[in-house]
Amino acid sequence: MEDQKVLDLVKELVHRLLSQPQNPNRNQSNPQNPNSSIDPNTYNQALRYAIRILSSRMTPSIAPDEAAMAESIKRHLVNQGKSSEALTFADLYSKFAAKTGPGSVNNKWAVLYLLRVISEDRKNASKQANSLLCGGLPAIFASQLSENLRVSSKKEVCCNGGVVVLSKNPENIRDIAFGEFANLLKEENDVSEEVLVRDVLYACQGIDGSYIKYDESVDGYVLSDVIKVPRATRIMVHKLCELGWLFRKVKGYISECMDHFPAEDVGTVGQAFCAALQDELTEYYKLLAVLEAQAMNPIPLVSEAASSGNYLSLRRLSVWFAEPMVKMRLMAVLVDSCKVLRGGAMAGAIHMHAQHGDPLVHDFMKRLLRRVCSPLFEMVRSWVLEGELEDIFAEFFIVGQPVKAESLWREGYRLHAGMLPSFISPSLAQRILRTGKSINFLRVCCDDRGWADAATEAAAAAGTTTDRGGLGYGETDALELLVSEAAKRIDKHLLDVIYNRYKFKEHCLAIKRYLLLGQGDFVQYLMDIVGPELSEPANTISTFKLAGLLETAIRSSNAQYDDRDILDRLRIKMMPHNTGDRGWDVFSLEYDARIPLDTVFTESVMTRYLRIFNFLWKLRRVEHALISAWKTMKPNCISSHSFLKLQQAVKMQLLLTLRRCQVLWDEMNHFVSNLQYYIMFEVLEVSWSNFSNEMEAAKDLDDLLAAHEKYLHSIVEKALLGERSRSLYETLFVLFDLILRFRSVADRLYEGIYEMQARSTDASRDKKRRQINSKSAEPGSWVSEGRKALTQHAAKFLTTMDQELDDIGKKYSSLLKGFLSQLPIQQHIDLKFLLFRLDFTEFYSLSLSCNVNLAKSERQLGQNMTTESRFCKACNVSLAESERQLGQNMRTIIPYMNSIFARREEIQIQTTLHLQVLVYAENEVICETVTMSTE
Amino acid sequence: MEGVGMEQASMNMNGDHQGRNWQMECFFQMPLHYPKYSRADYETMPQWKLDRLLTQYGLPISGDVERKRKFAMGAFLWGIGMEFWKQLCLEHGISKDGILEDFATQGGDRKDVFFYQADDQHYIPRALLIDLEPRVINGIQNSEYRNLYNHENIFLSDHGGGAGNNWANGYHQGKNVEEDIMDMIDREADGSDSLEGFVLCHSIAGGTGSGMGSYLLETLNDRYSKKLVQTYSVFPNQMETSDVVVQPYNSLLTLKRLTLNADCVVVLDNTALNRIAVERLHLSNPTFAQTNSLVSTVMSASTTTLRYPGYMNNDLVGLLASLIPTPRCHFLMTGYTPLTVERQSKNIMVSSYARTKEASQAKYISILNIIQGEVDPTQVHESLQRIRERKLVNFIEWGPASIQVALSRKSPYVQTTHRVSGLMLASHTSIRHLFSKCLSQYEKLRKKQAFLDNYRKFPMFADNDLSEFDESRDIIESLVDEYKACESPDYIKWGMEDPNHLLTGEGNTAGKLALRD
Repeated sequence: MEDQKVLDLVKELVHRLLSQPQNPNRNQSNPQNPNSSIDPNTYNQALRYAIRILSSRMTPSIAPDEAAMAESIKRHLVNQGKSSEALTFADLYSKFAAKTGPGSVNNKWAVLYLLRVISEDRKNASKQANSLLCGGLPAIFASQLSENLRVSSKKEVCCNGGVVVLSKNPENIRDIAFGEFANLLKEENDVSEEVLVRDVLYACQGIDGSYIKYDESVDGYVLSDVIKVPRATRIMVHKLCELGWLFRKVKGYISECMDHFPAEDVGTVGQAFCAALQDELTEYYKLLAVLEAQAMNPIPLVSEAASSGNYLSLRRLSVWFAEPMVKMRLMAVLVDSCKVLRGGAMAGAIHMHAQHGDPLVHDFMKRLLRRVCSPLFEMVRSWVLEGELEDIFAEFFIVGQPVKAESLWREGYRLHAGMLPSFISPSLAQRILRTGKSINFLRVCCDDRGWADAATEAAAAAGTTTDRGGLGYGETDALELLVSEAAKRIDKHLLDVIYNRYKFKEHCLAIKRYLLLGQGDFVQYLMDIVGPELSEPANTISTFKLAGLLETAIRSSNAQYDDRDILDRLRIKMMPHNTGDRGWDVFSLEYDARIPLDTVFTESVMTRYLRIFNFLWKLRRVEHALISAWKTMKPNCISSHSFLKLQQAVKMQLLLTLRRCQVLWDEMNHFVSNLQYYIMFEVLEVSWSNFSNEMEAAKDLDDLLAAHEKYLHSIVEKALLGERSRSLYETLFVLFDLILRFRSVADRLYEGIYEMQARSTDASRDKKRRQINSKSAEPGSWVSEGRKALTQHAAKFLTTMDQELDDIGKKYSSLLKGFLSQLPIQQHIDLKFLLFRLDFTEFYSLSLSCNVNLAKSERQLGQNMTTESRFCKACNVSLAESERQLGQNMRTIIPYMNSIFARREEIQIQTTLHLQVLVYAENEVICETVTMSTE
Repeated sequence: MEGVGMEQASMNMNGDHQGRNWQMECFFQMPLHYPKYSRADYETMPQWKLDRLLTQYGLPISGDVERKRKFAMGAFLWGIGMEFWKQLCLEHGISKDGILEDFATQGGDRKDVFFYQADDQHYIPRALLIDLEPRVINGIQNSEYRNLYNHENIFLSDHGGGAGNNWANGYHQGKNVEEDIMDMIDREADGSDSLEGFVLCHSIAGGTGSGMGSYLLETLNDRYSKKLVQTYSVFPNQMETSDVVVQPYNSLLTLKRLTLNADCVVVLDNTALNRIAVERLHLSNPTFAQTNSLVSTVMSASTTTLRYPGYMNNDLVGLLASLIPTPRCHFLMTGYTPLTVERQSKNIMVSSYARTKEASQAKYISILNIIQGEVDPTQVHESLQRIRERKLVNFIEWGPASIQVALSRKSPYVQTTHRVSGLMLASHTSIRHLFSKCLSQYEKLRKKQAFLDNYRKFPMFADNDLSEFDESRDIIESLVDEYKACESPDYIKWGMEDPNHLLTGEGNTAGKLALRD
């Protein structure tokens, strides 16, 4: 109704304007119709123009200043050379401006502006002569004059389209259509797009709008169904609201973390993650603020869109949201995947998402990770440079546990694989672990302060400071540099401390010299003085006394020049003993490694050293026993000439027994000394020299530990103490026991012989005396009787001793043969050298072939047969070989071929011969053949 | 456990007779006995006499008289025993006055094996110097080393007349001065923490070294029966006529004591030593000082494992035990090779011995190589393997045997041109030829009943009781026999087939040997 009224008013205004041509209105400058009759066509045009003007939304582009406007119009007129008119305008304006009070025009400036715009409109139209397209009032009138031109102008209207917004062209009905469309839209939709946009914006901030609300059941923002909107809009809204959903998720996570932070273990990395997310959200908020401002502007009709950009429609919103949506989606994904993770694992998970080709995503993730990883890197830094485990929330990939100082290195810290972010390689992690461990080791076990300098130096070399926050994600190179520099220096420092301050090498050497019996004179002396004591039953031995003896041994040997600190660590240790054990069985030496060297010489290591010591000690004891046996039979002790007076047969027997004893001694001594040589030089020395090389090359404590482990292992294995050579080891001990038994038998033998020697010299002296006093003394029958008894006694004694020796000798040789035959089949160690030393003159292999010659038993026959069959096999092989060669050389070398044929025949003959012999011939024949063939 | 110790008393016996060179390869010559002339004698000695003297000692030299004189003085006016101690002093960093040098405190060596400490700085050799005539010892007492020795340990007989190249004389004098000498020995033995044995240096041809040495051997054996007695004995050259005509008697009688009363005899020979110096060391005209130092190097080298303790062979008994599996065969030969390359060492040593084998039957009973200097055990291994593969060494067949190797450090105070040097001690059956020769020479002399009057003057041979000669001969014969038996694989059963073999067989064997030689 109001519209109608306005329309009426306008009509009336137009009518009045058109019917008053005398009116000095510039608009009515064309006095076409002086009469009051108004051309209806013109009227319509004018009316429409008026309506257009009224409905125009054009905002003035200049500031609303009344005086300036008036001035501008005046100047305009003057410029056009219409100074009189300008004067008139000034006059009129002063009147117009002066009219104040009720009933006057309030908005004077607007009126002036309107007038001016209309005038400029007309001017433009007049410049473009004959043109209708300019529209405006002149055009309306011009069209009356030149209706013929309309056709052409219509075309131009089509060309210029929407530009001619003010066109009153009746053909431009699209405007009307659009208007009608807008109205239609309004009718169709319950809510306008502006409202929807606003609601979407709300939703994107996680707030329920008036129409778009969060729906729990769908888990998302939805436009309620009751509101009537087109389907397209609904979908659009739905799409846009995803952002809101995502936002809600992210925001929810952040607030959850922040709320729970001190109570629950979100961890510093989690916190950093939240903070980074928060920052991202701040960016997002900024965007939303801008968008909200824009949303205040009304959405123009489609036709008007070109004139202004500062409004928001749903479509525009979807463009605006494209980037935030990607980011928000990423964040949501991260939140999802990291919700349960903590610390390094979280950083790792985020890192996995950063591997993305899209530079946008990549940059975003990088920014995020920089923030997220900063606490992690800080931990690495403080660990590597200060050895501090700043990890209240157990997020770091290194986990510490309280242990005793001696196992600090091995068990104190370990890598937590789950917390290791994937951008830190395991080897780097290992280095990081070791470096911090070294620092802690230095601090706790070595009581050392020097590492701080090393750390500072390392930091300087790596180009960072020891202050906090030097590193960030993406600078893996820098991290690696820092770690490697720190590791290099700290490890070097640690090794320096271990080598120089704690004299690792000296201690290793001391262990080698005392526990591994390297200090020969000391061992010799110790064995001499401790020996009698150790022959007592184990439970009667006083450790205290042994310790005194040890001290004596040290003083008497070159060990006295050794460092007192080292000697103090050497102790006697009695192993737990059973009843019947002798001192020999339980005696051992012990070396007290002390902190920090007990990291290397742990209990298990020392146990192995103990095993080696026991073995070497036993070997030494056996050698010692043999040497002292030699001393009883040494050359100047036995003077066989004093037995010349003995009966011939007994003398022979004596000599024979002695020789048997000596030869057996020689055999045993040969075995023991060669075994000892092997152990000392092939095992201990070689292992030691390898170890010292590796010790030189060791870069960190781990290397050192590994080298030492290798050293010990190689000794244990090569000294036949390993599990795999158990049977050898056992045989060896049986052999040792047999040798000790031999020693006691030999001692008894020589004791008996000395006794006889003493008696026979007595007898001969008596005899001499008797010869001297032959005349005076009565024939002393007791002397001859004594001699007889002596002879009988000697014969009996010698026979038993001979038997015992024989027994030992047989046992010994069979055991030794078993031992030797086992040597070559030890796969894991190289015992060639030992075998070759033990059998240097091929005595044992020779004795085997001798046995073949003497073969009388079935067993030996069997042996023959196996050698024989082996030989046959060899023949066959060589046959095949020659055949093959034959085939190859057939074409080229015929003479050679012939010779091969000959050889083949020969071999065949030999083979058959051997087989026949094997089956039929007697043993001796076999032996001959075997020797022949082997030769 | 008894009696293992590192200390050894060393006795240097200086005979007053001109030894004669005995030609046998790679037996070291040990010029213990020197021409009896003094410095003044040499200065006035005519050229023909000098020439004769030098030729006798295997030192032919060209040049004018002055040169020969100087050479003779350098060669003859200094003793081997002294050289040994000189060498030890050098190796242990002990000055001529027995004062420990400043640089020698950290050597890791055991000075107390051969020295005892009088006070913090002063080291005194555990040595006795014994002679029946004063010239050589006076020479020592006038030398720059006079302050080294303990003057209480020097024994000179009162009359100073020597033993007159007569074994019986030396033996008899030894008996008379037994108490004095044994007092010295006892004192030294008491001064040792753990006495292991004695080392005796002497010659077997003359009177003092052989006669008095024999007596000392018997006494030592009696009193210290559990201690080791090792001798370095200079053997005469039986190939040439000696100016000591009764040399075969002296040798035989001494050999008996060496066989029965010594634990280990290192046989030394002059000419071979000289040849080694020329051929191996490329010294033209080696002086005795040089060859002496070579011998003393050998002596010190054989004790290096005692003085520089290592894993093995830290006592003399351990060292000798493996070398002497059969108690009677305790005569050792030596070889010494200063080497630049270890690898060469074995070849040289072995090849020099390979030439000595007069019969292919001759076999090694045992070999010990003492290698001084930094040697990689694997190198030793390799050379051993090579020797084994090429069968360069012939060992006994009745028992296992191998080349024992003892690795030892070198003295840090002695600069040598050679990084590594090796000493070989070996028991070889070919040494029996030496004894056979001794026997045959004795037989010749004995048949003529020559020079026996000199011996009959002394109690042992009084009343024309020459049973000592016969007994000695029997023992040497059985020794030769035993060495021969060692060459056969049936050593263990040797003597069983023929129960009378021991008594009857020996003569035949000796006779055969004499014929062959």
